[in-house]
Amino acid sequence: MAGIRMWTLGLCAALAAGPAALAQTPGVTADSIKIGSFGPITGANYLYGKLAMNGVEVAFDEVNKQGGIHGRKLTLVREDDRCDPATAIAAVKKLIFQEQVFAISGGGCSNSAVAARDEVERAAVPWVVFAAVHDGITTPPAPTIFSTALTSSIESAAQVEFAVSQGAKRIAILSMRDSWGRARYAPLMEAFKKKGITPVADEEISPDANDATPQVLRLRQANPDAVILVVYPKPAAIFLRDATKFAFKPLTIGQSAIADPAAFEEQVALPGATSNFVTISQVRFSPSDPEMEKWRTAIEAKFPGDRLSVFNMFGIGSAQALMAALRAAGPDLTREKFVAAMAGLKDVKTDTYGGLITCSTTDHRCNKAPAWLKKEPGGPVKLVAVTPVE
Amino acid sequence: MSRLLGRRTLLALGVAALAAVPTFANPYVVFVGNQLMLYVILAVGLNILVGYAGQLAFANAAMFGIGAYGTGLLQVHFGVPYYAAAPAGALLAMLIGLAMAWPALRLSGLYLALATLAFAQFTLWVFLHWESVTFGAGGFKVPPPSFAPLPLPSNLGIYYLSLLAMAALVAIAWNVVRSRIGRAFVAIRDGEVAAQALGIDLFRYKAIAFGMSGLYAGIAGALHSALLNYVSPEGFDLFQMVLHKAMIVVGGLGSLAGSVVGATTLTLILEALREFKSTQEIAFGALLLVFVIFMPDGIVAALKQRLQGWEEPLRRVRGRPGAAAGAEARP
Repeated sequence: MAGIRMWTLGLCAALAAGPAALAQTPGVTADSIKIGSFGPITGANYLYGKLAMNGVEVAFDEVNKQGGIHGRKLTLVREDDRCDPATAIAAVKKLIFQEQVFAISGGGCSNSAVAARDEVERAAVPWVVFAAVHDGITTPPAPTIFSTALTSSIESAAQVEFAVSQGAKRIAILSMRDSWGRARYAPLMEAFKKKGITPVADEEISPDANDATPQVLRLRQANPDAVILVVYPKPAAIFLRDATKFAFKPLTIGQSAIADPAAFEEQVALPGATSNFVTISQVRFSPSDPEMEKWRTAIEAKFPGDRLSVFNMFGIGSAQALMAALRAAGPDLTREKFVAAMAGLKDVKTDTYGGLITCSTTDHRCNKAPAWLKKEPGGPVKLVAVTPVE
Repeated sequence: MSRLLGRRTLLALGVAALAAVPTFANPYVVFVGNQLMLYVILAVGLNILVGYAGQLAFANAAMFGIGAYGTGLLQVHFGVPYYAAAPAGALLAMLIGLAMAWPALRLSGLYLALATLAFAQFTLWVFLHWESVTFGAGGFKVPPPSFAPLPLPSNLGIYYLSLLAMAALVAIAWNVVRSRIGRAFVAIRDGEVAAQALGIDLFRYKAIAFGMSGLYAGIAGALHSALLNYVSPEGFDLFQMVLHKAMIVVGGLGSLAGSVVGATTLTLILEALREFKSTQEIAFGALLLVFVIFMPDGIVAALKQRLQGWEEPLRRVRGRPGAAAGAEARP
């Protein structure tokens, strides 16, 4: 009788200990890992949130079809932040305390991500940023926060580096001064300073501009060899259209907001206007590239009516880096092991990013390889170079 | 039974429930509860100006921002402690509100709406472009206030401070609208010429309405900066203005209980609609339409028809402005 009692007690203890061990890691069960995501799902900036999340989800689906990671399937819980800091904090709190996610893959808008940083850091939840570029998200590094997005200072340094490498001596700037533009403009000026270069002209344009004639005329007067654009696709298209009208065709250098030269050429809609345009992309392919066939099919199948975009590709690359760390963390998954695995990622190849993903314990900006894309009018999108930035 | 569902009982229960929230809820629910209280303060302040005094102003989000920026910038630039910076930020919003009474003396209706909208846009422009002071579009971090020697972490301290502020400001507003000032507001709303004929000083009472509204928005802004520990221009844009207006329309124009009910309803609906993901905006718009079509006088009017204890002094009744004030005013 005593033996039966001991056996029963032992069984109960074992049954209790099993789930308890799993329960210690939020968002992880024997067969699933819950990942949270926040970013703009609604509103004008949905590209940086909803589309990137769609990319994350198809990347998860692919791995889930093959049995998941260490036998666990990945699920994605989405929260909208509307690019508003207060809403982002609420979204992050909901993911952490209500949804009890294991980690976060998200962050579409810079200010929202900066505002959410303290909350994530306090809760010690792992977060892999997929689109927000503000340096303040990862610098100084927070123990659990990593970014696979090209940060603003990396892109700005690459823009100046590229202009110089193309022999440009007189360099001008056309920038927007909203939160997105500011996050890039300040490090751009720092990059100029480091190179000992003074821009020959520095013009501003609004995100909703319909005419860029004054900017074109003032820039033309400065006679630059290259113009660095720190603007969204719409004002960039207006600028190139108006510049072509005035026969002003310097080397024009974009950044990752204009990451799809094919779509941009359509947007400019003026033959030859983009012939001197080259842009940074976080990803090394255009969505129409044959290499992207697998992902194009996956996106169109899961989200009928959608076409693969570069923002989907941001999500795919970021999710692949996150999944590499999940694999490296092993089957006994904890947040601490995952963070250690993220910090130890070295030369991880993804299907979309320009370069390899490498993180360290002291530098959580894991993507430092902007890809340069160019599209000759009527021709295919070509990878011009990948510029690793230190 | 219906008396138990009256306005005062439910409001008291609401305050008690809010006080108890941190004891059982997770930090997300506590955060939403805190946001709700700030929206109640904003809606009450705006309803005094729009619902009682009849001034169609669109600068509430700007005043909210001025309170938040004033508080945050005093802390960051001058090292002023939160307990001095917060009243200063709120007072700054009140002073700017008072100044807005000048154009309101000459403008009314759509013209006042346009002038205040222009002011709101100008304020946003200053937040964005006066970079040496406001840190521009990138915003800035604000240090969390300390509640020592009380054993409260910053987030709970701000929660209970918001609760105290909300209860006090609703009580003050309740007394003001029942006083001579409230009756003067209603008289101005119902006819400025008639109000002047009754000896009401238009400038004085408009200034009080704008000043009170600015002060309420400023206090909400000061609490908002401490709640988020971050201030940036996105939080004070046109969406905020529309949200504040929607709260008082859905709750009930010219009703303090309506402000509380409207702010509570819309805050909770916005959070609940998170489940709708990308169709959230459509669902929110549709719900607003439902309220406007089926409850044109606000939720409070619908409650009043069905339950005792929801009568309110000087509450606005659609279509009978003159009669409303007199008919519903208590002796």
